[in-house]
Amino acid sequence: MMQYASLLIALPLFSAFLVPLIKRAGKKVILYYLSLVTLIQTGIAAWVFKEVYTSGKPIIVIAGGFKPPVGINLYIGHFAALFILIIAVVSFFMAVFSIKAINVDPIDKYAMLFLLLMLGATGMIATGDIFNLFVFMEITAISAYALTGYNKTGEASEAAMKYIVLGGIGSSFFLVGIALLYGSLGTLNLAQIAMLASKINPTVAQAALALLVFGLAVEAELFPLNAWAPDAYQASPHPVTVMFSAFVVKAGIYAMIRIVYLFKDTQAFMGILNLLLILGTLTVIIGELSALRQTNVKRMLAYSSIAQVGLIAVGFGVATPQAVDAAVFHMLNHAIVKTLMFLAVGYVAVTFGSPHMENFKGLGKRMPLTAFAITVGAISIVGIPLFNIFWSKFKLLLAALQVGKTGIVALILGASLVEAVYYFRLLHLMWFEDGKGEKIEEDLALGIIMLLLVALIVVIGVYPDFVWGIVQKASADLYNVAQYVKNVPLLQGVSP
Amino acid sequence: MVKRVLAIILILITGYWLANALAQVPFGADKMLVGKYYLENVKEQTGAVNAVTAVVVNYRGLDTLGEVTVLFIAATGVAALLWRKKRERTAKSEGSVVLQTGSKLLLPFIMLFGAYIFIHGHLTPGGGFPGGATIATAFLMLYLAFREYEIPHNVFEPLEGLAGMGYVAVGLIGLIIGGYFLFDWIWQTWQLGHANIGRLFSAGFIPIIYTLIGLKVGTELTGIVDNMVKEPKEGGQ
Repeated sequence: MMQYASLLIALPLFSAFLVPLIKRAGKKVILYYLSLVTLIQTGIAAWVFKEVYTSGKPIIVIAGGFKPPVGINLYIGHFAALFILIIAVVSFFMAVFSIKAINVDPIDKYAMLFLLLMLGATGMIATGDIFNLFVFMEITAISAYALTGYNKTGEASEAAMKYIVLGGIGSSFFLVGIALLYGSLGTLNLAQIAMLASKINPTVAQAALALLVFGLAVEAELFPLNAWAPDAYQASPHPVTVMFSAFVVKAGIYAMIRIVYLFKDTQAFMGILNLLLILGTLTVIIGELSALRQTNVKRMLAYSSIAQVGLIAVGFGVATPQAVDAAVFHMLNHAIVKTLMFLAVGYVAVTFGSPHMENFKGLGKRMPLTAFAITVGAISIVGIPLFNIFWSKFKLLLAALQVGKTGIVALILGASLVEAVYYFRLLHLMWFEDGKGEKIEEDLALGIIMLLLVALIVVIGVYPDFVWGIVQKASADLYNVAQYVKNVPLLQGVSP
Repeated sequence: MVKRVLAIILILITGYWLANALAQVPFGADKMLVGKYYLENVKEQTGAVNAVTAVVVNYRGLDTLGEVTVLFIAATGVAALLWRKKRERTAKSEGSVVLQTGSKLLLPFIMLFGAYIFIHGHLTPGGGFPGGATIATAFLMLYLAFREYEIPHNVFEPLEGLAGMGYVAVGLIGLIIGGYFLFDWIWQTWQLGHANIGRLFSAGFIPIIYTLIGLKVGTELTGIVDNMVKEPKEGGQ
């Protein structure tokens, strides 16, 4: 029965291949079909989530019935179950948003790429095999390139071009890294790599890990390989921007952390952690400072999103259990908040034609619900108590203090200060300046989605214990590598 | 100038460091236990004489499904980005007589050869990807030879989708019958063709999957050619 979790992969694939057959039915039908498929995916993900969290054991999907390392396995543990659910829910919301936001043809191609982007991220988080991870990363990346350029404006093509060049370089780094690992260990299975990690030559391990980290840094939007991100976020269709920020980047950073943590007991580990800390810190600083100067709200949010990812990387770089808990919590909170923010800003852009600051003047009077949603999101990101991000920033701060890294404390506080400047400027614009134009009737479905997310932000903010419990289990799945190895039923006799 | 020198120095350091790491990897040493396992068990577990095929379709079937999807995304992406309401061929002249006659005459043979490559994938080198690419060249020649030629889109697009759905469906049947996604139920559960190893009717679902992949790759690559060769019509958007 547990093997039916493979439907998480099979359903989006099957549905994407079905689109060419129903494309004659018209635009609306395709977009409703997209919502239906993502809704079913959400159902399956919810079932998997329930199974994993009630039984406390991961679901191991064994493709083809060949046990790893001979075959490929999916490892849906606490972390994967949680984030696959997030991916499915966000995709469903965005499918609903697409009905309103997507007017550019060809819709059928959009639907296919949308589903495959969701599939790729799901696969990256679920897989237990490093080459399979590469395949799913390619699926994610290539559908992301195409979706970035989907609007077919000059701006979009330029962004897609930048993304494709950097993404291509990242993929080849990653592939060379895999080759080094496979050449020295003779296996591609993540659990077996962890088991044999101490046998690998330290120089090779360091080179392989550095290559893998730099390869994934493109998807994970870490400095210096994130130059594509602001452009891509700005130019891609609004629902796609949400998906980038909510889970594509998360899948990238998860993959990076999973691989790095497999080498916990080797000499190379400390060096890679320092690399992560440096990259993360630079990402935060450059992201926040760039966000200050933006006049396009979508681009400003993009820089803010990059900075948050930097914070997550810093958390993983500290690598104590407390820090990993905090980083995973921040991943979850950031996914919720940025879904809300990009959705609301995208909705404003759809209504007024562009997400420029001008259009946000007096938004509180013209689109009160949307303005309210942006306000809650902004307050939360800045890290004000009673909202969800306060807790993850706070826990990260505590974790940094525990190991005496005061630099990180300063980084978090400084970042929050800069965030306060540019988000409160936006809030001021929305509520205290007069814009022209009448009040606009807001869309019911989008209103409900925004209110749901707002409620989630406040509930986690006021009562974080329940979600914190889930997050702790999810992060234990990441740093408890010994348990990870134990959970995978490796075939006997195929290890040295 | 300084920038360029710095870049060169950086490349040299990185290169030295990589070469250093590569020198320590025992490539070719007998570490490939998984590979040995494949060679020892391939016939009995999959029925394929061509071990590479068995690895591609059986042992690492999920990767192959992913690769098929990657190609599908590439074709879809090209179609999405080059999409315009009205497009037309803009070739200035027809192909020469030799090309025209040759492309027509060779069309069935090229397709037959492509089909041979993917149907016999479990016996001889080759498989769905090269077979499909071969088939696509037949259509590429038609595009080169005739100014007005266009593939029948209402056949190609649904066929591409159906082939992909067929692959996933084969995997799902495996899930229902054998309990695992992409399980080779024909070989392992029904045990069909066990007496036939080395002949066409063996190796379980490999020929079925390779046929589906061949059709899919063929239609996809042809679709990419079609998209690349056409340009937006004057006045049309």
